[in-house]
Amino acid sequence: MKKETGTGKIDVTICTGTTCYVMGASDLLTLEETLPEKILNRVNITGTTCLNLCKNKEDKPPFVMVNEKIISKANLESVKKAIQQELSGEKNANAE
Amino acid sequence: MNSFIEVDYSQKWKSTERIPGDIFLLSRDKTEGRIVCTLSDGLGSGVKANVLANLTASMGQKFTTSKMDIIKSAQIIMKTLPICKERKISYSTFTIVDINSNGKAGIIEYDNPGFILVRDNKIVQTDFTVIPLENRFPGRKEKLKHTELELKSEDRLIFFSDGVSQSGMGTAAFPLGWRRPDIENFILQQISQKRNISASELSKKIVGRALLNDIQKAKDDITCAAIYVRKPRKLLLLSGPPIDPDNDIHLVNNFVKFQGHKVICGGTTAQIISKGIDENIITNLKERDVDIPPSSEMEGADLVTEGILTLSKTADMLENKESWSTMKPNAVKKLITLFMNSDEVHFIIGTKINEAHQDPSIPVEIGLRRTIVNRIKKILEEKYLKKTTLEYL
Repeated sequence: MKKETGTGKIDVTICTGTTCYVMGASDLLTLEETLPEKILNRVNITGTTCLNLCKNKEDKPPFVMVNEKIISKANLESVKKAIQQELSGEKNANAE
Repeated sequence: MNSFIEVDYSQKWKSTERIPGDIFLLSRDKTEGRIVCTLSDGLGSGVKANVLANLTASMGQKFTTSKMDIIKSAQIIMKTLPICKERKISYSTFTIVDINSNGKAGIIEYDNPGFILVRDNKIVQTDFTVIPLENRFPGRKEKLKHTELELKSEDRLIFFSDGVSQSGMGTAAFPLGWRRPDIENFILQQISQKRNISASELSKKIVGRALLNDIQKAKDDITCAAIYVRKPRKLLLLSGPPIDPDNDIHLVNNFVKFQGHKVICGGTTAQIISKGIDENIITNLKERDVDIPPSSEMEGADLVTEGILTLSKTADMLENKESWSTMKPNAVKKLITLFMNSDEVHFIIGTKINEAHQDPSIPVEIGLRRTIVNRIKKILEEKYLKKTTLEYL
């Protein structure tokens, strides 16, 4: 069971570990249903058993990774925003 | 005997009754490895039959487990049981099976249909001794049948109430009921179709077929018990990272070496194993449940789940046998199914405390792993008669 990489999509990884789950990750699992199809086609949503970020005292769970970017205290809005940012960042990169 | 003895039974009540007139009792002595079970069929059906069958089965069970000689216990029961005034027969019939840890079995039968022994996919006829009883009725000789057996690996012992052997009686297909040769063929057929069919499933199949013979309306209480001597099905459950990271490798080795089903409960634990065996973990994001995080899959493991929330919910569900059978297929149900399909469960519990769990801003109480695992262990042993072992890392 090797993970697919290099899909050319934005990777969104939701942590489903204990701490993240009780702090709101259960809501984040509905992300797929709340994204418009246009965006959905460009993201790759996966879960992970633990991102190992809850041990850092500075950041607060739940955690989501959007590509390389860590989002702490994540909720559907902040994750969507981060996805939008990544998408526009790609556009800019392409334009350059 | 290095085998596990699985015992289970299945039952359908007479269609017009709300309680059974057949009673099956089972006890397992953990230290001695001894198993005693009793099937009793009370005369008639309904409340009277239920009370009498319970009385008989409880006596059989108590006397036999109290180390009293199996024949002696049966004789006391016979003396105690009242006799029906009208029919001049005893109020209940019974089968008592007593198996010690070496597989030596003693079987006492009083007027129940005789047990069936299957060995090497064949029906085996066994020798028995007849124990005559005091003459309680003029012109009628009562007797107990006593059989001694050495059970071997893969043996099956099946016994049932006459609701099975008389099923379908009077119908065109079974004018005289489900005759013994036909029951024997049915059992052999089930085993040939599924070589390792469990005692639980086999007893269900037999009762299902008897009910079908009765055209889905049981004419009498139908009860079938099955005993299956087999290799123990083992399950390994890992939960929690070791307190000393140097022991991670020990955890991985234990996981790899283990012969049987393997479950990992805990995100960090899963990552230690994933790294150790170089396999990725894929989380089933489609599994949605407010209280239960989704399960994951990893090559080499039968199940990967989150840790404490899943284990806590599993303990709650195991305490209430009925509630999980109707649950949708989430991590807890998958874990319980694996527990139910195992005879021996070995827990390896990492004792490192996850400090993030101690944060006072967390809205729900996150219990201590050790406490929860010990609770599950206790329920599995006491309620589900599983063998369990536990080690801390």
